[in-house]
Amino acid sequence: MSENAVFARVVNARPEVVFDALTGQDGQEAFYGEPGWTVESECDLRVGGVWTVTFWPSRDEVYRHDHIFRAIDRPNRLVLDTTESRPDGSIVEYETEFTFEERDSKTLMTMIHRGLPTVKLRDEHQAGVPNAFARLEQAIEKSPR
Amino acid sequence: MHYNATLDRTFFALSDPTRRGILKRLGRGPATIGELAQPFGLTLNGVKKHVGILEEVDLVVTAKIGRARECRLGPAQLEDATEWIDDYRRTWQRRLDRFGTYVERKDGGR
Repeated sequence: MSENAVFARVVNARPEVVFDALTGQDGQEAFYGEPGWTVESECDLRVGGVWTVTFWPSRDEVYRHDHIFRAIDRPNRLVLDTTESRPDGSIVEYETEFTFEERDSKTLMTMIHRGLPTVKLRDEHQAGVPNAFARLEQAIEKSPR
Repeated sequence: MHYNATLDRTFFALSDPTRRGILKRLGRGPATIGELAQPFGLTLNGVKKHVGILEEVDLVVTAKIGRARECRLGPAQLEDATEWIDDYRRTWQRRLDRFGTYVERKDGGR
């Protein structure tokens, strides 16, 4: 069983194109930009650098993700410490890893979240309340497409 | 994404290993406070405190039966937790898909 929450997508572009787009303003607008939302990204792309993304549908509902770069291996991999801040004042911290693998001139882009409290709970509790935690597990697990 | 105070309390209730042990035990069937105390080496008051936290978020329900208080699972809030995870997963996958579509349009299929 995976201990991580994994998301994946094959992108019809080469890894360096995908990598550079992800850390750019336009790419972040695409990533976080639900219809009608505003996205601002400030990215200091170096190990130890801070990448702050702020996005909101209205000024009274602002979401913020603060990443600190822990590893940068262009165009193959990024590792970030992520802190999510939500409009209700709650904060969640976890590790984010992006990998970019070339597949027939396309890119398998994978995003892994590690250390989410819910993921830990899933692992610790699976034997506790079998049916409910089985559903929790199914909700978390996601195989790369 | 869906966040609320009840969900925070549910995850807090689940964060303690003793409380998770109590849930595991109750997954096998109802038990009295005394029956829960013994395997965990807790006092009755200690168990009552843990059960009270679980009861606040409906992970456990209790009922007085004779002189004992019986505990059983009340899993309603785990459905909320599952819903939270579903929302979380859908949101992040949507972000990844939207970004992928943006890159493909920008790159013009090369």
